Amino acid sequence: MFIQTEAMPDPTMLRFLPGREVLEEGTRGFRDEREAAASPLAEKLFAIEGVSKVEFARDSITVTRSGGDWQHLKPAILGVVMEHFMTGAPVLRNEAASSVHASAPPADADGELGHVKESLRQVIDPELGYNIVDLGLVYDIAAEEGGVIRITMTTTTPGCPATNYLKTGAGEAAGALPGVEFVDVQLTYEPRWTPELMSPEAKAYFGIDDGGGW
Amino acid sequence: MIGASLSRWSMAYFAAALIALFAAEIMMTAGFGFPGATVAAPETLILVHVVAIGWLSLLMCGALLQFVPVLVVQPLYSDTLALPALVLLVSGLAALVLGFLQLGGYIGTSFPFLAAASVLLGCGFALIIWNLGRTLAAAPKLPLPAQFVTVGLVCVAATVTLGIIFALVLGGTVNATSLLVLTGIGRPIHATAGLGGWLTFTAMGVSYRLLAMFMLAPDLERPTTRAALLIGTIALAVAIAGGVIAALTHGNPAIALLAAFIGGVLALALYGADVRHLYRARKRKNIELNSRMTAFAFASLAASVVLIAVLLGLGQLEEHIGAVVFLVAFGWLSGLGLAQLYKIVAFLTWLECYGPILGKAPTPRVQDLVVEPRAVKWFRLYLLAVWAGEIVLLAGLPLLFRVATAAMFVATIGIAGEILRTRRLHNVAAASRLPAGAQLPRLLISSHA
Repeated sequence: MFIQTEAMPDPTMLRFLPGREVLEEGTRGFRDEREAAASPLAEKLFAIEGVSKVEFARDSITVTRSGGDWQHLKPAILGVVMEHFMTGAPVLRNEAASSVHASAPPADADGELGHVKESLRQVIDPELGYNIVDLGLVYDIAAEEGGVIRITMTTTTPGCPATNYLKTGAGEAAGALPGVEFVDVQLTYEPRWTPELMSPEAKAYFGIDDGGGW
Repeated sequence: MIGASLSRWSMAYFAAALIALFAAEIMMTAGFGFPGATVAAPETLILVHVVAIGWLSLLMCGALLQFVPVLVVQPLYSDTLALPALVLLVSGLAALVLGFLQLGGYIGTSFPFLAAASVLLGCGFALIIWNLGRTLAAAPKLPLPAQFVTVGLVCVAATVTLGIIFALVLGGTVNATSLLVLTGIGRPIHATAGLGGWLTFTAMGVSYRLLAMFMLAPDLERPTTRAALLIGTIALAVAIAGGVIAALTHGNPAIALLAAFIGGVLALALYGADVRHLYRARKRKNIELNSRMTAFAFASLAASVVLIAVLLGLGQLEEHIGAVVFLVAFGWLSGLGLAQLYKIVAFLTWLECYGPILGKAPTPRVQDLVVEPRAVKWFRLYLLAVWAGEIVLLAGLPLLFRVATAAMFVATIGIAGEILRTRRLHNVAAASRLPAGAQLPRLLISSHA
């Protein structure tokens, strides 16, 4: 699960996008612990010292702080949100609102990591003229707390003069996404890349009709 | 070290090499040197060395400065040494040409041009060998293509050593009997070491990797590849070391060269099988112009081997040695060189211009920097002109040969024009040519990664 964060014009507010549906429709605000009793998630968020207001929308949770700083609050909030959604607990206790499922399927199959993957598609391997995701050069994308994205990728051939550009380009593309604070791109040649790793679309583009294995 | 950097001076090497190619084609078209003069005439020596050093060696050096680091996944030992090496090689070639003009009676001055050429070219090639050798030596393990290049570098050292001896003898700087004898009968060894060892063997090694990269084919480490390396190395050792020993001991270097030729044919046959495998095993079905044109260069290499064998059988090799050298130099080595240069310039220009903004803005593809349908006609003209030139050369029709070389010159101008357009990004749609942050690369000097 990957949770993005979005800065707000008001620096005391921060928006969290868990990549899952939070409310089926509308918005719901909680101004204190008493109001938060209607939501297990809001309750847990108010338990964090410094949280003064919580608002749920269809795909986001906006938290307002009254004290502390985001550097310390953010990891705690990310932990609560992640734990809540991973356990599949409901967002609201109200029966009438129970159609809002915390464990509702994400808007797209890959969740927010899908956004990262999509962003990496603008990075092309210059020689092949095709994006690094569909070429199968991106082995893994992982999200960590604090807006950290870790990308493991390779190049078609070790020592390629484009290697540094591809690595930096992947970092730039992922880092430009809202809520991403830090991108770590690791290169690996284990396993070595083969055309077999290409997407069906890429294989069709290059005329590969035998699976692509060497 | 995760990726090789851009070689700062490779473009300058390529530009100097193309100028030398134009000069050689103009000389041939003007009837300067072979076939209008004998193969040993000063005019022919000028022509041959403008082609071998000015065109082919500078092209090879420029390419190796960029691709040896790729082969061994190590940074180039020194980017700084590349410029003085280029200056030394170009000035050394100029001195050599002046020395040959002096030998031909075109220049009256007694300045020791040939001795100067020996020093300049010796230092220039030494810098190249040192730079590339240290780069290769830094690799924990040499892949097979890099081992071919290593043998090629040993061969260029041998070629230059012999060349220096010849230049010093012809210029009257040294007159030791053994060196006079070596100069008298050692020319075929010098040519074999240069064209066969330095240029062909190195091109073989680099082509293994470049073809695999550009055609999406597997890197070859087959038994045939290892056998080609081993047999080819032995053949070159027999030709160079055996030939020199034979010459210095009053033997006949021709025997060593014949034995080497047999080994060379076997090595080339194995290389041919590997190349065939690369083309057949490639995943990229629609290969680009450089890979398509390279196939014709391989055909010229095969034709050269057959031609040598046939001429040897007919006892006419000496008579037609000029035609053999022409096919090797212009059909095989130049055919390969021009085809790959067309691709390499596009690739390096893309990296320099668009690499820094990758991920920040949409970028064109390398393929968008070239217009293959326009360039292909120049390559076709070049290849047809070379093969026509070979036929009329063998047929003893020097006037028609000049017509063929004129066509080669026109084709080369066309190819160079396409390469220049690529370098200046003229083929990229205006809307996507220079996105924010991208800079038009300089013509001759590349910015570092």
